[in-house]
Amino acid sequence: MSLKKTVGLKTILTALLISFMSMLLLGVIMNAAYTHTSLGYDLLKINTISTQSANAVTSVVTYFRGLDTLGEVTILFLSIFGIGIGIERSDRMKTILGYDSTLLKIGTKVLFPLIVLFGLYIIAHGHLSPGGGFQGGVIIASGFLLMFLAYGDSYDLDHKVLSLFEALSGAGFILVGILAALAGGAFLGNMLPLGVLGKLFSSGILPIIYIFVGLKVAAEITVLVEYFIRTQDARDA
Amino acid sequence: MLETLNQTTFLHTVVAIGSFTIFTIGLVGVLSKKNLFKIFLSLSIVESSLFLFFIGSHFEVGKAAPIVADGIKLFDGHMVDPVPQAMILTTIVIGVAVLALSLTFVVNYYRLSGNIDIDKMDELGEVQ
Repeated sequence: MSLKKTVGLKTILTALLISFMSMLLLGVIMNAAYTHTSLGYDLLKINTISTQSANAVTSVVTYFRGLDTLGEVTILFLSIFGIGIGIERSDRMKTILGYDSTLLKIGTKVLFPLIVLFGLYIIAHGHLSPGGGFQGGVIIASGFLLMFLAYGDSYDLDHKVLSLFEALSGAGFILVGILAALAGGAFLGNMLPLGVLGKLFSSGILPIIYIFVGLKVAAEITVLVEYFIRTQDARDA
Repeated sequence: MLETLNQTTFLHTVVAIGSFTIFTIGLVGVLSKKNLFKIFLSLSIVESSLFLFFIGSHFEVGKAAPIVADGIKLFDGHMVDPVPQAMILTTIVIGVAVLALSLTFVVNYYRLSGNIDIDKMDELGEVQ
């Protein structure tokens, strides 16, 4: 048996074809001309008069394209709902990943309120600084993940409170939109005074929407983390 | 030297090559791995390359983030386009939701069939 490894003609041709296509795709990507639409600059121009929000991304997400955010939150809710149906929830559920460490337990006790507070701060300042509902919600959920890792099965999450938060914040989002429509504007339009740019109580409806989004995302990602960390170990089944 | 590197077109090229590399890594993972879990995680890597490409290709030298902060007093042409960033924010959230849902399907498939190798799937009667 010879040490030389034979490579078939088909393999060589496939490799050549793949590399040629990759070069072609890379060339297309690198030579792409970025046409600058005026949409973003128009939105920046009217941002000061229409929202008074210091963060233009927030005003796009919650005001100019608020309906898209509603759809996005709905998709997140549907996905978590599907996971809840899919994963078996039985009494045999136990935490499959955890660290039994005293240092972690004591540190978590100190850190958990601070993490939740920081998440709330990020949510409430979404219209003033980088951040917002999605980011702050994920930070709060990471605090709960730390609790799951440190305390394992002895940490009981109140599912009623969690579902209440999730449902009420989702309903609150739509309710704010309907109230804005009744107050004379469009659905999810602005009905509150705009205030002064850079103040916490400013930019009308935006912080309210982002607070609802943040609470909803926090509740949903917490449920998601709990589903995955407290599932019955599939390898034991 | 650094001035020539700090050009919008050059940085766009760097972003294109980098995100293309990440895309290729994810694609190779999708095509070559047999484990369902790893296939879905590779898809998520492909997704992250798209995020990087989209955000990076709308970056321009000398323009700030669209946020009124310390040095910047008003919204004008010295800021980058906020629309792609808002869109990618939406896409990231949806990507997380879809990844979680698909991983749930993988867990359930494993629980029902005891198999996670795509070569050994024979639910449609195609026994190898």
